Amino acid sequence: MTRGFQGAVLRGFGARDHQATVVEKIRLAPHFVRVRLVSPTLFEEVTAGPAAWLRFWFPDPDGGATEHQRAYTITEADPEKGAFAVDFVLHEPAGPGSRWAATVRPGARVPVMSLGSTTFEPTDEPPAGYLLFGDAASIPAVNSILRALPHDVAVELYLEEHVPDDRLIPLATHPRLRSHWVPRDGGAGLAAAVEARDWSDWSAWIAAEQTTFKLVRTRLREEFGFPKSELTGRAYWIHGRSMGKLRDDPAGGKAALPEIAAARPPTGDELAGDELADGGPTAAGPAAPREPAVPAQPGAPSTPAAPARWRSQAAGRLLAPVRGALLLAGLLQVVVTVLQLAPFVLLTELARRLLDGADDARLRAVGLLALGLLGAGTVLGAALTLWLHAVDARFARDLRTRLLGKLARLPLGWYSTRGSAGTKKLVQDDTLSLHYLVTHAVPDAVAAVVAPLSVLGYLFAVDWRPALVLLVPVLVYVVTMAVMMVQSGPRIAQAQRWAERMGGEAGAYLEGQPVVRVFGGAAASTFRLRLDEYLAFLGDWQRPFIGKKTFMDLVTRPATFLWLIATTGTLLIVTGRMAPVDLLPFLLLGTTFGTGLLGIGYGLGGLRDGMLAARGIAVTLDAEELDTRPGTGTADQDGPPGTVVFDRVAFAYRPGVPVIRDVSLTLRPGTVTALVGPSGSGKSTLAALLARFHDVGGGAIRVDGCDIRSLTADELYTRVGFVLQDVQLVRGTVRENIALAVPDASAERVEAAARAARIHDRITRLPQGYDTVLGDGAQLSGGERQRLTIARAILADTPVLVLDEATAYADPESEYLVQRALDRLTRDRTVLVIAHRLHTVTGADRIAVMDDGRVVEAGTHDELLAAGGRYHRLWQADGARSVPDGPASGLPGAGRPDDGYLGTATEGAIR
Amino acid sequence: MIRPLLRLLPAERRPAVTAYGALTLSSVLLRAAGAVLLVPLVRELFGPRPVGALPWLGVLTAVTAAGWAVDTLAARRGFELGFGLLERVQHDVADRLTEVRLGWLAGNTAQARAAIASGGPELVGLFANLLTPLAGAVLLPAAIALALLPVAWQLGLAAALGVPVLMVALWASGRISRRADALAADTNSALTERLIEFAGTQQALRAGRRVEPARSQVGRALAEQHGSTMRLLLLQVPGQLLFGLAGQVALVLLAGTAAVLTVRGDLTAPEAVALIVVVVRYLEPFTALAGLAPAVETVRASLARVHAVLAAPTTPQGSAAGPGRAPRIEFEDVDFHHEDGRPVLRGLNLTLEAGTTTAVVGPSGSGKSTVLALLAGLLSPTRGRVLVDGVDLAHLDGAGRRALTSMVFQHSYLFDGTIRENVLVGDPGAEHGRLDRVLGLARVDEIADRLPAGLDTRVGEGGTALSGGERQRIAIARALLKPAPVLLVDEATSSLDTENEAAVAAALTAGAGTRTGVVVTHRPATVRTADRVLFLEDGSVVEDGTVEGLLGAGGRFHRFWQQQEASAGWRLRAEQAGGR
Repeated sequence: MTRGFQGAVLRGFGARDHQATVVEKIRLAPHFVRVRLVSPTLFEEVTAGPAAWLRFWFPDPDGGATEHQRAYTITEADPEKGAFAVDFVLHEPAGPGSRWAATVRPGARVPVMSLGSTTFEPTDEPPAGYLLFGDAASIPAVNSILRALPHDVAVELYLEEHVPDDRLIPLATHPRLRSHWVPRDGGAGLAAAVEARDWSDWSAWIAAEQTTFKLVRTRLREEFGFPKSELTGRAYWIHGRSMGKLRDDPAGGKAALPEIAAARPPTGDELAGDELADGGPTAAGPAAPREPAVPAQPGAPSTPAAPARWRSQAAGRLLAPVRGALLLAGLLQVVVTVLQLAPFVLLTELARRLLDGADDARLRAVGLLALGLLGAGTVLGAALTLWLHAVDARFARDLRTRLLGKLARLPLGWYSTRGSAGTKKLVQDDTLSLHYLVTHAVPDAVAAVVAPLSVLGYLFAVDWRPALVLLVPVLVYVVTMAVMMVQSGPRIAQAQRWAERMGGEAGAYLEGQPVVRVFGGAAASTFRLRLDEYLAFLGDWQRPFIGKKTFMDLVTRPATFLWLIATTGTLLIVTGRMAPVDLLPFLLLGTTFGTGLLGIGYGLGGLRDGMLAARGIAVTLDAEELDTRPGTGTADQDGPPGTVVFDRVAFAYRPGVPVIRDVSLTLRPGTVTALVGPSGSGKSTLAALLARFHDVGGGAIRVDGCDIRSLTADELYTRVGFVLQDVQLVRGTVRENIALAVPDASAERVEAAARAARIHDRITRLPQGYDTVLGDGAQLSGGERQRLTIARAILADTPVLVLDEATAYADPESEYLVQRALDRLTRDRTVLVIAHRLHTVTGADRIAVMDDGRVVEAGTHDELLAAGGRYHRLWQADGARSVPDGPASGLPGAGRPDDGYLGTATEGAIR
Repeated sequence: MIRPLLRLLPAERRPAVTAYGALTLSSVLLRAAGAVLLVPLVRELFGPRPVGALPWLGVLTAVTAAGWAVDTLAARRGFELGFGLLERVQHDVADRLTEVRLGWLAGNTAQARAAIASGGPELVGLFANLLTPLAGAVLLPAAIALALLPVAWQLGLAAALGVPVLMVALWASGRISRRADALAADTNSALTERLIEFAGTQQALRAGRRVEPARSQVGRALAEQHGSTMRLLLLQVPGQLLFGLAGQVALVLLAGTAAVLTVRGDLTAPEAVALIVVVVRYLEPFTALAGLAPAVETVRASLARVHAVLAAPTTPQGSAAGPGRAPRIEFEDVDFHHEDGRPVLRGLNLTLEAGTTTAVVGPSGSGKSTVLALLAGLLSPTRGRVLVDGVDLAHLDGAGRRALTSMVFQHSYLFDGTIRENVLVGDPGAEHGRLDRVLGLARVDEIADRLPAGLDTRVGEGGTALSGGERQRIAIARALLKPAPVLLVDEATSSLDTENEAAVAAALTAGAGTRTGVVVTHRPATVRTADRVLFLEDGSVVEDGTVEGLLGAGGRFHRFWQQQEASAGWRLRAEQAGGR
């Protein structure tokens, strides 16, 4: 049997045959079958991760000796049993794959290879939605993509219908999927069917017939403005062509569905763009039964007027102010690089003159010219460096000023979703990468590209023959590298994951040290095991490459180039085909040019990192701000302040995934309202909306008749205060921290607030009392810091307060004092409390029970218990874990205990 | 870098290192020979009879081929050494971490973490990808300079002198750049910190209506920093240019020398041309060296981290065996200070009778957990002694100390694995019946019943797949399973539900009489299970007695007791609720 050139290439890349045996064949649709196979050895090599696909060698359908390679997506995988499945579209006339699948019976064997298959992980920051295109042949891949996509991302799927039966092929489900079947119409149908709308921040994936593929890609790019990086996919097959030879439509037959060239997802190098920004498919379980197309969801308004914008283009927008400077810097760097090469050219000239027996003066002229160029290059290089740093300093200042302004206007929810680490990365690491981008990356990249290319050009101009020979080692290097990359396959991504995982494991091992020491060997064994596995992985991966790596290193060494130049040159000179002088440029410049050429990729790496950082910052600067709308309600100042009205409030973090649905709730002045419900029910989000961490998506929240969106931040926070688990102290003294909202408060008022929050005594025992500067060193324990923020809230004295009940027991060692402080804080205020433990809010004026974003019940504890509904069930479930109910202040023989036993130092002997 | 590296290699690899060194040196000499062979080759090519170059080409081919052979062998050895190094370093660090003083670890967590997880692939390639080119780059110019001496001594001498000059230029260039970068980073990071702080306190600032003042403050700092950045700019230039300039000047000077020698008649023109070519070869390695500098810096830093862990102070060990039964425990005038010198315990004296259970209570920071850590051998006293049946804990051997105590920690840390595996950590060889009994006592059986995979449910990394209470019950089971004569329970900061309270109580009473128990707690129900209560404040015992006795005395413990009972039944605005 022969496999032709393709087989030889695959063999060259080290692909290995695995025998797979057919276990069963299931018909999923009239012309669509799933073949289940088992191969005991396949999964030694294949990682059954997402996006895995296999190369099959099918027998010739015409009975010839040739085997044909076809690639198919893995649709089921059980690595432990060596079982897997692939899906086939059956059609006439059939190609090798289709014919094999149509006739194959259990027990049949087929050779399978795995090479070049990569795995797919959804990106951390999902796009606004995924726009997928496919047809019967790519449904296995489409299905696996659908299963891999996060459930809260919108998906639009356009499928090309070749035969009516196509619609019977089972599609995977996705909660936000809208699918559209479009008749083929000569290939133009699919492209024409795409809805005209704003596709900003969407990511597209196309796997279709070639004509269709090209038309869709063109429309997305030209009409909707999709950037290259957000367009991935490939033509799966070509209409009218099969296996390299044309097959004519059989006379009188129906339209031919030709052989599918490769029913596998695109690989990195086949992508239209250069980055795999969106989904490749994943390995998949059995296809779910077919779902009808999901009806259109509201909330995707088409606004074709505004040009679409993509986050991936944000970096360009951010760098716009320095684009001119960077371009100029690039040009100057070209000059500097060329000037740095000049001495070598002059050396050739010097040699030429020496050989000609030139006189002193002519030799000196060369020397002087060399020194002159050297000086010019140095001065220009210095000037360039200086200028770029100046440009960067100004750019960085402007950028930080913008960032500072933005940070002050971003919704508070932006911070809670990102966490302190995310904020830090943005403010610290990304600005640093940007500094590198502006000051170094551009000149470095230009130098990395220009130096070897100008050398190459110069050498070709001198004599093309030895110049061509110099490319041989480079070619050898590139091919060896490619082989290594392909052989590494998924291991490159695995190595990355291993490294991350070991980082986590090491942290865990350190954290668990006290346990390891008390319990000894067995406690440490998991880490040991993992460490050994990691080392084994590295060994298995790297050891086979030692030979290749050494070879690559030797091939591109100066000594090798030197020998190649000497040999080629000597032979050409001895045979009289080259002037000896022409060999000199090669001997002078040719030896290191190989490494230079190979260093181009490395030189460009800095640019890539910088662009990613720029994108992160730009996306933040583009993020939505809280703005102040013109008043929508009339201020209602009758009676005591502190009435809060939630009026049909709705909210979603991502469009289409509501977290709060149509909540109406009124908080009367001076009452306590508790929000209870299972985690994820929306109680924390609802409370955060009152503190305007986010703006509502629908309805309104009014405080004393004013829509909170019509208030400036300062106006809002004179009315609404909050005490949450996240304790934030600002740089400054204790006094400044308590008096944050009332900077001119008298010392007496500050002290009174501190006493009310049960923190005064502790403060007086600090080294400088109220004037102690907070921040350096752990001077205050968690509970103490909490009471400090309660003192702050007491002094701020807002009529409305949002409170997280978890603060009451976050620090068991000073629970009692925090509770007393909360008693004082909640007095005479409208309080909305997020309750985690039911028994602490049994005394609330009103309890609102939340479930799935709605208020399902409301009333007092007794009323709700009597109603026997949702609250009743929660209470019973909670009861087992709660501390038994009892009178709080009924202790015999004691008045209220004071905070006399408060500790001084923080306990932190073991961390 | 070399010496710490050699220390990290296992002794049996030393011969391999020697072989690798010899191969690398031969490789350098072969390359130098190849460079100098250009002199006769080029001389013949530019002479009247170019065919004379062919024999020299033959020699060059032989030398190059020999170089390939030697380098292949060196690379193979290098990679082997790299794998050996990786394995050794990772295991040594992992082993050592279990002996390093916990106080040191607490202050160097990031470093220790980096040491243990740091760069596998880099270490593998350390010899072949870094040391080999480094050795070549350092030795090759010197070798070429020496080889030039017999050909043209003036040029050879100049080249030899050039080696230190260029090395110094390279070093200075790097140093100046680093200093400039460090200065820039300092001003930068000060500002960045302000920005991060501004971002991190947005809740407080907005609630306090202080966003604008804070913003203008940071804005002012921004403007000030811009001024100082502009002043620092000039520092950036010399570092970037010095080395490049030195190299080019050297090229011009050496080529000039060759030209002058030709004009004076000391060299023929073809010889001069050949020497110019060799001069370029001689300068090449310096550029390569400059390119290696960042990698060397990285590797040096990561080796330094490894070394720091291996050289970190360890907990002292003796050779005495531990007691086999419940011991009597004494603290003799014990002081304990943090690594930074802050005192925690001051002159603590106490005696815990064999087989009793003692509750330690007190405010946060009073030193309660430190008492347990000292008993568990996790910390060592700064002054004074901890005696177990009269034997100083510090004199126990490692096994004896480990066998002495079992402990339930404040944060019940579990390892990635199943519930069963985590409990068995206490006693890997525990028989079935004992395991079941312990699971029941700690109420782990109830958890297992609720889970589909039962005891074989994985707990996730650090136990994160379970709730805090569930983790703690598994930790209690683990501690109970370990057959140690001393049981320590720390629930200083845990907020337990009733189920766990019962589990803790069961744990403490289960081994009554056969174990000496100490529990740190703030929970009345747990205190009740103890024979004796110690009230700790500011690192010393202020009250000591039975629960009833101390409650009757009406002192600190009495007040503590009342507060705890009050907070257990606390309800938000309970006293106002009735009025509405």
